[in-house]
Amino acid sequence: MTPPPRVLCARYPHLALVAAWANHPELRHEPVVVGGAAELRLPVLAASAAAQAAGVRPGQPLREAQQRCPAAAFVAADEVAAARLRGALLDRLCRLAPIVEVGDEAAYCDLSGRHAAHPEESGWAVAVARSITGLLDDDGVAVGVASSRLVAGIAAGRAGSRRIRRIAPGEEAVFLAPLPLVSLAVDAGIAARLAALGLDCVGAVANLSSADLQRQFGPAGKDLWHRARGEDGVGEWPPVPRSGGPEGASPLMAGGAMGPPRRLGERLLLEGGVGDLEALRFAVHRCALELGERLRRQGRRAAVITLVCEFDQAQAEELRIAPLQPPGSGAELWPVALELLAGLRLPTPVTAVRLEIEGLQGQVGRQVDLWRRGDAAGEEISGAASRLRARFGSAAVRRAALAVDPGDLPERRFRWADPGAEAGAGGDAPARGTALRGRRQPAVPVMPALRR
Amino acid sequence: MSTPLSQALATLRRRYGDAVIQSGDTLSRTGSVWPTGLPTLDFRLTAGGLPLGRLSLLAASPPPGASGRLTLLQALSAAASRERTAVYLDLAGSLDPGFLADLGADLEALLVVRPPSGRWGEGLSMARSLVVAGAPWLAVALPPVAPGRDPGWEHRLTGLVEAVSARQAVCLVAAAAPVPPALGYAASLTLGCEAAGWQEAHGDVVGLRTRLTVLASKVGAPGEAATLLLRYPRPFATAHVVGWPAVVDLTAVVERAPSQIAAAAG
Repeated sequence: MTPPPRVLCARYPHLALVAAWANHPELRHEPVVVGGAAELRLPVLAASAAAQAAGVRPGQPLREAQQRCPAAAFVAADEVAAARLRGALLDRLCRLAPIVEVGDEAAYCDLSGRHAAHPEESGWAVAVARSITGLLDDDGVAVGVASSRLVAGIAAGRAGSRRIRRIAPGEEAVFLAPLPLVSLAVDAGIAARLAALGLDCVGAVANLSSADLQRQFGPAGKDLWHRARGEDGVGEWPPVPRSGGPEGASPLMAGGAMGPPRRLGERLLLEGGVGDLEALRFAVHRCALELGERLRRQGRRAAVITLVCEFDQAQAEELRIAPLQPPGSGAELWPVALELLAGLRLPTPVTAVRLEIEGLQGQVGRQVDLWRRGDAAGEEISGAASRLRARFGSAAVRRAALAVDPGDLPERRFRWADPGAEAGAGGDAPARGTALRGRRQPAVPVMPALRR
Repeated sequence: MSTPLSQALATLRRRYGDAVIQSGDTLSRTGSVWPTGLPTLDFRLTAGGLPLGRLSLLAASPPPGASGRLTLLQALSAAASRERTAVYLDLAGSLDPGFLADLGADLEALLVVRPPSGRWGEGLSMARSLVVAGAPWLAVALPPVAPGRDPGWEHRLTGLVEAVSARQAVCLVAAAAPVPPALGYAASLTLGCEAAGWQEAHGDVVGLRTRLTVLASKVGAPGEAATLLLRYPRPFATAHVVGWPAVVDLTAVVERAPSQIAAAAG
């Protein structure tokens, strides 16, 4: 069973500032501006709390920072020391969590499942916080734990120094409801339009329907609706595991617990229901291109593709396929989605289409056999064979292989094999090239971001 | 000085483009054919081998009796699979992968396509998808019966020919007599297959002598003929292991002394 996703966010002073403190311990409690001498025409990289209290902000010109805080000490950024700190921090956190993302001012850890040495989540979070504090030798570390990266980050920002703010699963919306919209980093134009309607807090926006926001603000409105509910942007978390282990599994995870599922989805609402196949084709095409663009940006491929058509009065129809060659772009995803659309039964007009991809994996290159003509097109041929198998059945396109122990009968000399069997399907993914038709199966774990 | 012929050629090129008229030697240049490895087939019957981007047809002689077209098709498919990805569209339903392995085929590189309905149109459409995806070699084994109630298979055939032309693939079709007119029209090279007799050794049938005749060709001159021995491989041992080629060129032997056929066939 896959545990619910839990994300820890730790906020700490900028690593360049920590490195400056290490080089100049006498400046520990003084206003410090990192970026260079005040005469240089460079921006502020980081500023201590005292300097920020005087109005200095990262990104400001150094001259302006000097005007705002004349008493501040201006030091150059020691990038080597900062990189060394980042590496050490990454090394420490990787011993505590299976998936880690370290930045200059914040780090994220995957706390899903259970740690062998820290069975309780609170103890696990304390261990992570102590590890960071011990390395940075700083008291300004604030930690937040929640079910999504977004809420964990906000919780850490509101926790205060040396504090851990835990948001229980399911309490994200309650936690976010009274906060102002700026907490979600909403576009200023959208925030102004919402404020004009009296919608100035996260809870007010969360109560709106996704369709209304999407109609008014397009994809940004849909994204805002998800963020108001504490859901991450699709694909934001977890990152691709660095270890390359299956689904981010770690030896530290007790009981073989796994990381959160990797799944992306794109849903398009159709005004009033659409029964025209050409219009549905257009909608699915748009979903495929958007999903493919995300895949391309992340450099990943999808092992399983699911197309769901929703109806007003009937249960959603779903068709799933595990193509031989996992698509990694919109151009590769679109033919697969088209095959799925052709295989769906549409009894009534469709109110929404949803294209989901899961089993995300990194792009893996392949050495082409230079002596075999057409080998460079092997992926395309495998993909075409996969689509034919999905459409006409598994016996439509096959590859023969000689039997290891042939009998006397001619038909026992060989066995039929899947053309892409060597690609291998992992986990619970259906057999390669096979389409599974059926109703929505609630047993399949779904990321909160996809419960739309 | 302009002659009426040159004026006509200039007019045609101006109206339809430079590619509309080409000299014959450009059609048989190296690279536009797939050499089969059989000297007779490559240099006597065709201009270097099977043409790329075109449909070649192995047309059987009228029944009764075997013609050797499917054996030759499978032997050439086996040779192709050793150097490239090959697709075998088995509409005839007669493919035996064990026989292909005996012929020396690389089964890893051979995709076998069998449409569930068995209809020609469906199979040709599936083959077209694979050719469009980049499959460089396609063999089509048609059944001896006519397509019957399969309207539109000619349209699918046109789509397949277009895909083969666009991807410069090799497409070899084996058809029984009578060859459907649409297939004969689409083929650029038609080789007639006629059985010339069984090849026996010690009282056993070890092969079939097949006479190939260029019935029609858009890439060379028709009318040439040659005889090949399609030697049945020994089961459970590939042609490479046995050391005998699957297809033996008998033309030179036949022209010199027919009695040497047995010696050449072993």
